[in-house]
Amino acid sequence: MRPILLQGHERSITQIKYNREGDLLFSVAKDTVTNVWYSVNGERLGTYNGHTGAVWCVDCDWDTKNVLTGSADNSCRLWDCQTGKQLALLETNSAVRTCGFDYSGNIIMFSTDKQMGYQCFLNFFDLRDPQQIEDNQPYQSIPCNDHKITSAAWGPLGEFVIAGHENGEFNQFSAKDGEILKKVKEHTKQINDLQTSLDLTMFISASKDNTAKLFDSATMDHIKTFRTERPVNSAAISPIMDHVVMGGGQEAMEVTTTSTRIGKFEARFFHACYEEEFGRVKGHFGPINCVAFHPDGKSYASGGEDGYTRIHCFDPQYFDFELEA
Amino acid sequence: MPSMEYDDSKPSWADQVEEEVDEGTLPPPKEIIKGNIKTITEYKIDDDGKKFKIVRTFKIETRKASKAVARRKNWKKFGNSEFDAKGPNVATTTVSDDVFMVFISSKEDLNAQDQEEDPMNKLKGQKIVSCRICKGDHWTTRCPYKDTLGPMQKELAEQLGLSTADKDKPAGSGEPEPAQPAQSKTGKYVPPSLRDGSTRRGESMQPNRRGGSDDNATIRVTNLSEDTRETDLQELFRPFGSISRIYLAKDKNTGQSKGFAFISFHRREDAARAIAGVSGFGYDHLILNVEWAKPSNN
Repeated sequence: MRPILLQGHERSITQIKYNREGDLLFSVAKDTVTNVWYSVNGERLGTYNGHTGAVWCVDCDWDTKNVLTGSADNSCRLWDCQTGKQLALLETNSAVRTCGFDYSGNIIMFSTDKQMGYQCFLNFFDLRDPQQIEDNQPYQSIPCNDHKITSAAWGPLGEFVIAGHENGEFNQFSAKDGEILKKVKEHTKQINDLQTSLDLTMFISASKDNTAKLFDSATMDHIKTFRTERPVNSAAISPIMDHVVMGGGQEAMEVTTTSTRIGKFEARFFHACYEEEFGRVKGHFGPINCVAFHPDGKSYASGGEDGYTRIHCFDPQYFDFELEA
Repeated sequence: MPSMEYDDSKPSWADQVEEEVDEGTLPPPKEIIKGNIKTITEYKIDDDGKKFKIVRTFKIETRKASKAVARRKNWKKFGNSEFDAKGPNVATTTVSDDVFMVFISSKEDLNAQDQEEDPMNKLKGQKIVSCRICKGDHWTTRCPYKDTLGPMQKELAEQLGLSTADKDKPAGSGEPEPAQPAQSKTGKYVPPSLRDGSTRRGESMQPNRRGGSDDNATIRVTNLSEDTRETDLQELFRPFGSISRIYLAKDKNTGQSKGFAFISFHRREDAARAIAGVSGFGYDHLILNVEWAKPSNN
């Protein structure tokens, strides 16, 4: 396969996300712009300009009307997807680490960092009520005093948000009343990424403790574990195959002291059932910070510490391949 | 995928005539669509005044998509891409080199990789890569001195340890101490096969190799550093027994060591122990090689 190389950022990629149909790919990085690309040919549709700090997270609603970004400039912004105009600016006390639309696109959540003396909060806004945006007053704000949220995603039916914490713990926060519905601790270190399957019934977590784990979204039951020997920065579930892809590598601070050969910067493919690695794809010059499957499962994209986003369309061999169990 | 080629073939005489008439003007870019192949031909003049013809070939693909997707495909570009032309901009979008998914088909491959990595990790932590016999950078079993000197090393090291411990250091010798013999006391495991039985065999074999020439108790030390002096050698070999003569080969002009020396002991056993004890030891960053001096050819 010949990957399409997207060079829209000057600094390392922090998150990439496809929209629901997968025709658009959003990428955010530690520079201030948010890029949106046509995934089919890598053409850049546009940029959302306005943030003044590193952008940590991006999300797009189900009908690709609005885009939500959270940044270290202490703001969360809502954009019009088509024109790139800023629709709303929600100011916070600390950096916004994670953000997301629920499936309806009506409710947004975002979490803020614990820094500069401020607590970590998980905030919920209802976009149908303009007053909430105007007053910058979330209808619900859940404080997380112990360990800050490092990754989060909406569960099925917009009922709860699954949050991964700094200490490797997961919480299910109800979107209705902020109650903690479930609490599990399966990881020993920080959870770097949390992505749901296409139907939202499962989610995969990527942790600094060198593993990625598959969970049931509703019951929070631990299903599978995928082990590597380096911190995992991101993991995604294939929508059509029993596969997961993981990206990681050594920590960014150690990269300069080693060669790419031993850095283990490949994207690694594991069989979801057998928990066994079956393939690797090279390409990045640094650790992979984010991976995402196209919703049709025929391609995937990865964003790296090297600032590049690469879109890979799978070769026919990938679909023919069967793991010898 | 845009493929680019530069066509700098000689223009025909007709073109040349035309060129002379209106120098500097270029033919307008052409765009030809033939089936699903689009060819764009552009002309350019570079800094040296040379004319270039750039031919780009595109493959046009028609993909069916849902209405929403199709509508989005026609959205106007915005932000930093506002003024980009239709199609991918080469400044932001490039096609990378071909990469392949490396399939790990069988478990053996995985295991092989694990094994490749694991010993290296162990080595880092435990430093077992240093040879017990000569402290070289290889496994003990592969040591070239394994059969000759290794077995004696341990017992001699103990003796050496004692002798260096109660040795009164000669005053005024600022030279580095031969601290290496003490290192072999670290109690590394020596398999039984290399302890006593083979010691005797080694002893019995050495005279045989010498061919029973004479009772010469002279050993040859090689791979000495240039800074070595006789006093150092004396210090190094005295623990093994009384020395009758030390000859250090030196350069006539500079007076520096040539890297080898002959040590004559009074007793042959002392010499044998010295060989066993010192051969393979690191001395001043170099691994010493000690063996019986060959009889001078006369």
